[in-house]
Amino acid sequence: MSFAEGSQGTASGSLQSNNNKLGGTRKPVEPGQNAVKRLQTELMQLMTSPAPGVSAFPSADGNLLSWRATIEGPVDTPYAGLTFKLSFEFPSNYPYAPPTVLFRTPIYHPNVDFSGRICLDILKDKWTAAYNTQTVLLSLQSLLGEPNNSSPLNGEAAELWDKDPALFKTKVLDRHKDIEDD
Amino acid sequence: MPAAVASQWRDRQRRVFQSVFPADVAQPAAHPAQDSLPGTRGRRREHIPPQSVATQPLLHSAAAVVAGDQAAREQAWRLVTAHIALPPPAAGDVSLGSLVADSQQQHLQSCASAEFYEAFEVLVHAKALLPGAAQTDDVLSWHFRQVRAHYTRHVLPLLARCVDDGDGNGGDEGHDGRQGDDGRDDDRKDEEHMVIVTNSIRTLEAALRLYFFGLNQLLSGYARLAHVSPEIARDAESLNDRFRRDLHALVSNSAPTGLMRSIKAVVIRLAGAILGMPGPGRGEARDGPDIPDPEDSKAQAARERLLQLTQQLHNVGLTGERFQALFAEVMDVMMSKFVTGAFAGAWSPADPRPVSTAVSLSASLSAASPCIAKLSNWIENHFARLTCEVLASISANNPQGPLPVSLADVKMYQSLALGRLAALRIQELFDIALAWPDSRPALEDLRATITTPARRKQLTDGFSKALQRRLLHPGCSTLQILRTYISIIRTLHALDPTRVLLSSVERDLQMYLCQREDAIRVVVAGLLASPEEMRAEKNAREGSKRQREKAHPDRAGRSRRRGRAAADDPLTATPSKPSSRTPQGTIPETPAAKDPKNGGPSRSKHPPKLVELALLLHEPSPNRAASPAEDAVADLDWDDMNWVPDPIDAGDGYRRPRSVDVIGTIIAALGSGDTFIKEFSIVMADRLLADGNMDDGGSGAADSAAPRFDQELRVLALLKRRFGEASLQACDVMIRDIQDSRRVDGILCRERARERERGRDLGRGGAGEDDMDYHTRILSRLFWPGLDREHFLLPPEVERQQKRYEAGYESLKSRRKLTWLNQLGRARVELELRDRTVAVDCSTVEATVIRAFQGLEGDGDDPAAPPVQKSVDDLYMQLQMDEDLIAAALQFWAGHGVLRRVGGPGANTYAVVESLADEAGPGPGSAAGAAASDGDQPMDEEGKEEQQAAPEGEGAAAGLGGGGGGGGGGLSAKELERREVYWRYVQGMLTNASASMPLAQMAMMMRMLIPDGFAWSNEELQDFLAEKVAAGEMEIVGGKYRLVKK
Repeated sequence: MSFAEGSQGTASGSLQSNNNKLGGTRKPVEPGQNAVKRLQTELMQLMTSPAPGVSAFPSADGNLLSWRATIEGPVDTPYAGLTFKLSFEFPSNYPYAPPTVLFRTPIYHPNVDFSGRICLDILKDKWTAAYNTQTVLLSLQSLLGEPNNSSPLNGEAAELWDKDPALFKTKVLDRHKDIEDD
Repeated sequence: MPAAVASQWRDRQRRVFQSVFPADVAQPAAHPAQDSLPGTRGRRREHIPPQSVATQPLLHSAAAVVAGDQAAREQAWRLVTAHIALPPPAAGDVSLGSLVADSQQQHLQSCASAEFYEAFEVLVHAKALLPGAAQTDDVLSWHFRQVRAHYTRHVLPLLARCVDDGDGNGGDEGHDGRQGDDGRDDDRKDEEHMVIVTNSIRTLEAALRLYFFGLNQLLSGYARLAHVSPEIARDAESLNDRFRRDLHALVSNSAPTGLMRSIKAVVIRLAGAILGMPGPGRGEARDGPDIPDPEDSKAQAARERLLQLTQQLHNVGLTGERFQALFAEVMDVMMSKFVTGAFAGAWSPADPRPVSTAVSLSASLSAASPCIAKLSNWIENHFARLTCEVLASISANNPQGPLPVSLADVKMYQSLALGRLAALRIQELFDIALAWPDSRPALEDLRATITTPARRKQLTDGFSKALQRRLLHPGCSTLQILRTYISIIRTLHALDPTRVLLSSVERDLQMYLCQREDAIRVVVAGLLASPEEMRAEKNAREGSKRQREKAHPDRAGRSRRRGRAAADDPLTATPSKPSSRTPQGTIPETPAAKDPKNGGPSRSKHPPKLVELALLLHEPSPNRAASPAEDAVADLDWDDMNWVPDPIDAGDGYRRPRSVDVIGTIIAALGSGDTFIKEFSIVMADRLLADGNMDDGGSGAADSAAPRFDQELRVLALLKRRFGEASLQACDVMIRDIQDSRRVDGILCRERARERERGRDLGRGGAGEDDMDYHTRILSRLFWPGLDREHFLLPPEVERQQKRYEAGYESLKSRRKLTWLNQLGRARVELELRDRTVAVDCSTVEATVIRAFQGLEGDGDDPAAPPVQKSVDDLYMQLQMDEDLIAAALQFWAGHGVLRRVGGPGANTYAVVESLADEAGPGPGSAAGAAASDGDQPMDEEGKEEQQAAPEGEGAAAGLGGGGGGGGGGLSAKELERREVYWRYVQGMLTNASASMPLAQMAMMMRMLIPDGFAWSNEELQDFLAEKVAAGEMEIVGGKYRLVKK
């Protein structure tokens, strides 16, 4: 629960980029424990320096490895004014493995399938420990505005995105449905 | 059988009753001539005659003889009783009683006649000679009855008069001594008591002489009969004793209380003089009792007087149980007085005067402590001696008997006295702790006397109370509390190396310290105190020690003075207990704190710090901070031959400590390690950044600055041993950052110098501002606490440097980005004003502000131009800097005499002070005052103001570039900030986790999720949420909170 140890957890994520040779031998910590600490620190960061349009929080059942997140659709995109709920499931070796992220709100998007699964490279093979929940959310937010149409999960959407933005927008609004909490 | 028991019982009952009401028994004796009364009335004496009579064979005579015999006996009876009858005293005169008695005695002695003896013989042998006399009575018991009556009727009033006379002169007796502030008054009272006692004794002596005269007459009658019946003569001796004993019982039981009070006063005075108590108003400088000098004539005189007095009292029968109880009381008072008087506040090392070598009993104790040795000596050689002498003189009946005071008694007295000393020291313990280490001898006393668990309990209880009363209240600064805590740790450790006492005392202290928000900061600052501060502290300590040594002679008086000083001190924490009599010096007023340590130049220059901690840290002591693991091993030290079991009052989880470990104890006392580490890293960051001696360029600076981190590294190493390597990684990173930045900075500077060189070679003529040195420190954002960005526009030349530096850095370390924290830097500014040059080290904010006053190029040397003026608003527009920062910076420069406020006190406009001569104020030192002088002397020209700023913009190289600063902020806004963060948590929770939640679940989540711990109780959270509900941001639906949808 400590600040300092939390930083240590964070450190492991940002070590490569910081190029700080921390040296010394770090004691092997139980992986799940490490993940929880890291997530706590991330949460604190999210709370103290929130990014606009995105927010996330552990789920109400108190399991720190399971989060709920919210993304507001960016303006100047078909998703403007809409709110999307997501779920994050963190593996116990997080941040060394990416979280599983799903859209819980039905969304019409080239890179999201109808069960909410997302096709995003940083959630797959491009994942590094330097990413965190906030960066993932921000990436997803930008994905809403700039879909990767070369590898669509939703072929129709990918097609419509370029061909008929008006129809796309209608489909988006049709598909979107505010979900109630479980 | 039951009947016999019952009668015995009745008999005893009656006797008890009669002994309580002696006058009742004496009643028959009021009629000495009425010999016809049946002997049963004198029942108490009944057993005397049978002894003498039963030896005679009983003769049963005829009835005819009876009348004659009776008459003869009555005649003899009358004769004898008339002879020994007490004279009726002349009424009313005190002195007359004794005079009459004297003259009567003379008179009667001469006329003891043969007639008397004949009659006496008749009486004694009444049964044999006059068998017909039915009523025989014992003349001895008759005599005692008449004595008793006489005593009650005449002597007692006389005694009462003696007392009353004394009282009449002495004012109200009830408060004897206590009211006499004046010594002379006391002396007079003592004299009066003495007069009362001597008068009473004289009266009693006279009366007793009278009584014994009659007795002697009777006894001489017995003596004459010795040839007839020797056993009667033998009885006479025991009769005499019995008479004396009865008489003494009578006297001592009936002595008026006033008389006893006077006796007590007299005994107190004399015993006090003998035992070395300070006499009231004796005019001597001595203000505490001391072991009396054997050659002291006063003491000897007092001793003789006392012994004589007790002898006299004994003779008149006043040394009964009442006197013995009285004497015991007096001696008890003496012992208490001596202990408190001689040892209260006397914690100094041994008296240089050698303790008498006669200490034999206490040989083992004398090694322990001078106070104890002195006390034992006093008990043995003075207290016990006096007791022995007095008791011997009042039990003078059998001088060959065992001594009234045995060796075991002396031992008991000593242990009693030690107990009192212990009680005294316990009371003083708080002051003792404050005066550490000068008070070490007092601790020796305590250690020698605190032997039982009960006393230990008493000690911890008393000490805890003293703590609450005198330390743990808002009047004491955290620094004081911590300083006292250090003393307490050492004191109690010296007292009890097992630390049980300490641990039972310090709980309250720890709880209280946790409430002090600045406690950790004080400790950390103390640990990191600079070597200069340590030196100053050391010097101050030695200085104060020297001074104490100088002040040695009047040390005895010091504690008292201190007591008075403390009474005036508003901080004294005993508003509710004005009656407590121990010196109640509160922390700041202890002698140690009064010494130059606090008042000296060292303290006035530096803000007070817990420099003691730094000193401790540097003390070469092994095992100073044994880590828990080492301690655990130490528990299993099988080779420790001095091992003893844990003390019985040790609590659960008790672990035997091996060293004092003040630092460890204090850190442990400050709550969890996490908060400590956090605070430590904040302080550390401040120090690392403030340590800004990098601007004198190049690698040389790095070398000179390097030693400055020694202290930090040392403390860091200490904390690592305590908290583990991992938890202090952030601090490691911070130090490494600083060291790395030096290297990077060195590289970039060399690069730039080369560039400049090249530029000059190419003749491109580098701009002047490029000459400034510019250095940076690159911090890892994640590891530095409280790095907030403060936005403002840097001077353009600095901006250019910054850009260039950034480019250089990014070429050096690809894919990394610098975020500049402009406000954290330091700058050296040289201002060339018209008549002077001002060089100042300042912050970048201040440098930026003063740079804004610099005129544009070109109009620099025009002497006629007015000085530059700018208002806060102007500067705000120009620099986009926070207005508070601008105002502070302007104040800073006004303080240096560079700027002054113009246009009235309310105006926020400042102007450059180009020439001191034009300024109304005397000089730069008082320029702040001058600045307030309304600026009615307009500056007539503007000089050239050249600024050479060398700010080291402190860059924060954040690995991810974005994201902004961390969360830390100003301490004053801590609570606000906390509310802000919690509010975000609440928002995040209700946005994502669940749209509506009950209070308890929210509190539970917060508690689980906030890394530093959730500081609020459920109630506080409820209040907070209620505010939000009131503000319309939340609503309560079905007992659950939810955010209002916008």
